[in-house]
Amino acid sequence: MKKVLVVDDSLSVARQLEKIISESSDFTCVGHAKNGAEAIKMNHTENPDIICMDMNMPGMDGLTALRTLSVMDKEVKVVMVTSLGGVGDKFTEALRLGAKNVISKPFDAETVLRILREL
Amino acid sequence: MAVKFFGQFLVERGIVTSEALLGAINLQDNNNLKFGEMAVAMKLVTPADIQRAHNAQMSKDMKLGDLLVEMGFLTLDQMNDIVTRQKNTHLYIGEALVQVGALTQDELQKQLDAFKADQAEYVSDGIELPISSANEKIWEMTVDLTYKMITRVLDLQFRPGKCAVATTIPHHFMLAAMDMAGDVEARYIIAVSEELQKSIARAILSEESVEDEPAEVLEDTVMEFINVVCGNVAAKASQMGVIIDINPPITVHPPAQGLPIPAGYSALSFPIHIKDGDTMELILLVKD
Repeated sequence: MKKVLVVDDSLSVARQLEKIISESSDFTCVGHAKNGAEAIKMNHTENPDIICMDMNMPGMDGLTALRTLSVMDKEVKVVMVTSLGGVGDKFTEALRLGAKNVISKPFDAETVLRILREL
Repeated sequence: MAVKFFGQFLVERGIVTSEALLGAINLQDNNNLKFGEMAVAMKLVTPADIQRAHNAQMSKDMKLGDLLVEMGFLTLDQMNDIVTRQKNTHLYIGEALVQVGALTQDELQKQLDAFKADQAEYVSDGIELPISSANEKIWEMTVDLTYKMITRVLDLQFRPGKCAVATTIPHHFMLAAMDMAGDVEARYIIAVSEELQKSIARAILSEESVEDEPAEVLEDTVMEFINVVCGNVAAKASQMGVIIDINPPITVHPPAQGLPIPAGYSALSFPIHIKDGDTMELILLVKD
């Protein structure tokens, strides 16, 4: 079972993602970080296979954390989950920084699980 | 279920890989010359002329082409020729994906049709504002997308009320606000009653009852709703050539007498009458 870390400042989005992940037999949620800095720490302590991370967060944002994670940990696969996915520059920047995919908000369980399974 | 650009649509659906898309974007970057690059390639100006115009742009808010005309480096006809050449040689992402071997021509057409159908619900029906503003089209699109997201994300039936210029931000149970920067300067606000907050929470959390949820979670769902709306507004604006940066959402609890409109801003109020008799309000604080 693959371990997933959820990173989002929004409690409601984190709840939605944790629910989708925990109801699937393929994945388990190993925690919830509220910003990029927490995500980097929890990547070290929880050693997830996948990180689902928001872009727009107070403190360290998702793209900054992605930049750090892609240097520090070549194994972890990062998927950005964001309402800004449709902004072409942001989407391209995320892919260039090493994100494996971008899930747009609002999302549904089927899309999230399909993208996670394809990683 | 969101505003997207074509490349993102294809990657999200697993039609092309993110690596193939990046390859196509790199091909586009090499092929699609910027205005200054095209002007130099057409031997109408020199790189030194472009540099001088770029320097002048630091103190003048003008597009490069207009500035090159104003500085006498180009005639108006030459500027139009450059724009036409840019349009005629522009490599679209779909064609670039075909060129890198990620899609066939037949598959491209099929996916373009699917993309058009997916995005059709975000095509604006037109909203009229009571004031004139430099970014009128952006604010009309913002209101239009808000209405669409109320239906699609919150599953609420409503009737839009007449837009008016507000003199204060009235008292409501809760306001969720998001600041917009970049090419525009504005604050996007959604005001809700206690009952509407619960309706939003039920929709966002996909729960039948939210009676036991802490206030913090209920407020967060309204903030997340405006985050989704504003993110999609930023995406749509980028398709219109306008850059909007959004900050994380915040909550505001106005006092009984309401809040004053900040100096230098206009407040546009859009009442949204929900089917059960409740009213939501969209307020756009737009810098004059």
